[in-house]
Amino acid sequence: MRSVSVVGTGIIPFGKHLDQTLVQLGRQAALNALRDGGVKPSEVGIGFFANFLAAHTFAEFTIGQNVFWEVGINKVPVLNVENACTSGSSAFHMAWLSIASGQYDVAIVAGAEKMYVPGLGLINSGETQLDTRLGFVVPAGFAMRAKRHMHEYGTTAEQLACVAVKNRKHGSLNPIAQYKDILTVADVLNSPMICDPLTRLSCCPIGDGAAALILCASSKARRYTHNPIAIRSSVLVTGGYENPLSLLPWETDFRGCRLAYEKAGLGPKDIHVAECHDAFTIAEILHYEALGFCPEGEGGRLAMSGETSLGGKRPVNVSGGLLSKGHPLGATGVAQIIEIVLQLKAKAGPRQVDRAKVGIAHCMGGDKDGDGKSCTVNILSV
Amino acid sequence: MKEKEVQRGPEPILNGIFTLPPYDKEGPRLIGALCARCTRRFFPPPFVCPYCLDEIEEVYLSSQGTLHSFTVVRVKAPYGLPLPYCLGYVDLKDDGLRVLALIDPTRIEDLRIGMEVALCVKEFGDDGKGNPALRYMFSPKTEKLS
Repeated sequence: MRSVSVVGTGIIPFGKHLDQTLVQLGRQAALNALRDGGVKPSEVGIGFFANFLAAHTFAEFTIGQNVFWEVGINKVPVLNVENACTSGSSAFHMAWLSIASGQYDVAIVAGAEKMYVPGLGLINSGETQLDTRLGFVVPAGFAMRAKRHMHEYGTTAEQLACVAVKNRKHGSLNPIAQYKDILTVADVLNSPMICDPLTRLSCCPIGDGAAALILCASSKARRYTHNPIAIRSSVLVTGGYENPLSLLPWETDFRGCRLAYEKAGLGPKDIHVAECHDAFTIAEILHYEALGFCPEGEGGRLAMSGETSLGGKRPVNVSGGLLSKGHPLGATGVAQIIEIVLQLKAKAGPRQVDRAKVGIAHCMGGDKDGDGKSCTVNILSV
Repeated sequence: MKEKEVQRGPEPILNGIFTLPPYDKEGPRLIGALCARCTRRFFPPPFVCPYCLDEIEEVYLSSQGTLHSFTVVRVKAPYGLPLPYCLGYVDLKDDGLRVLALIDPTRIEDLRIGMEVALCVKEFGDDGKGNPALRYMFSPKTEKLS
């Protein structure tokens, strides 16, 4: 396989974009990425577009072709990718594969989502699935993991809340974050209960947003930029769905992270900065453990220690995470990778992590039989 | 001549996952599946055994279990479920299966991880079209504390 690098990034502020269509959000991010990379549309060999909800909410489909032609990309293969929360990072994985395999030299990935739609309920497992028909909603799945974590390891509500406090503090430094106000532990604990023990401020908000990346064979990347960021490994795994499922440790999460480290020839100690899927406070704590940042069961204590805050030993979700940015599903996985790229290029402004040379972007998505349907882990370095 | 409309009770949320009333003294049962080749059990019944691709046979699962974890959902209920409602994972006695289930919402204060629970089937929420629906639920076996 060939080495692949990121040569361009484009993003728009996450928030409410009621006056813009999904295509308008997506095309702006794609244009920003092409301009950032100095890449001509005619040089792009393949495009991947990520979105989760538009077929359901707007009766929009095969949107990638619409988005990419608005920025001059036509005739080449375009694929539309849906993989729940990892739609964007799954599209990234496919773009990486298309170049690493030697078939294409330049690929574009764009992800976009519009979630401020009246009557949008909580995300579930799909309408025909038993879990959904019983009444399962995504926060409930994470809440049951949280309860179990508290039961087995003595994790406290305060430790969970520390994740939201930290990420909002980070978000206050990120111009594209939807929520930039600082929170206290008390704010988090006293906000309305959604699914015990997760309160409203323990759950990521919805959002409209778009993000895009240009990937290029590393051997040709310096045509576009003097500081390409190398993809050291790109992993996409799906769930095991085995019964009895293990809520803790989350096998799919651990397996995805382990594989990414193996393929990169790196370990947790080599990571300077991380973005992970903090859709709920408990999720970040679980991912600390899967990513090897602490032993199993120690995630709550790590959250409280300050090690994962900006200025700490290994900052996590310095973008503000999903808890500050919101979670426009198709854009999320792409935006996480953009944050790592910006950090490694030392272009992250006030939220820059000192001497960040290696970073990891992690995402999980979908629910099936108590397991995740997908987990993506991408390791990047200067 | 117009046929007389047959009075129908609430329908199950999915067919073939639990037995329907009226019940004998054994009460309701969850319908799982067994692969004769690998002896694995499943719930809900799969298409074929995903490990062997052999045909599976349907079996009744245990109506008793222990509560592995649970939560109380307090907002945005789907299917007209009355808020708050409870969800949990139940380890079925002898089956080696951990199943997602509704948990009796009248017992929220009593719920503890590890407690013994028993199966019931109740009219609870709707089928997505506003018709009342039957759902399975586990309830603590101990008497109500309060």
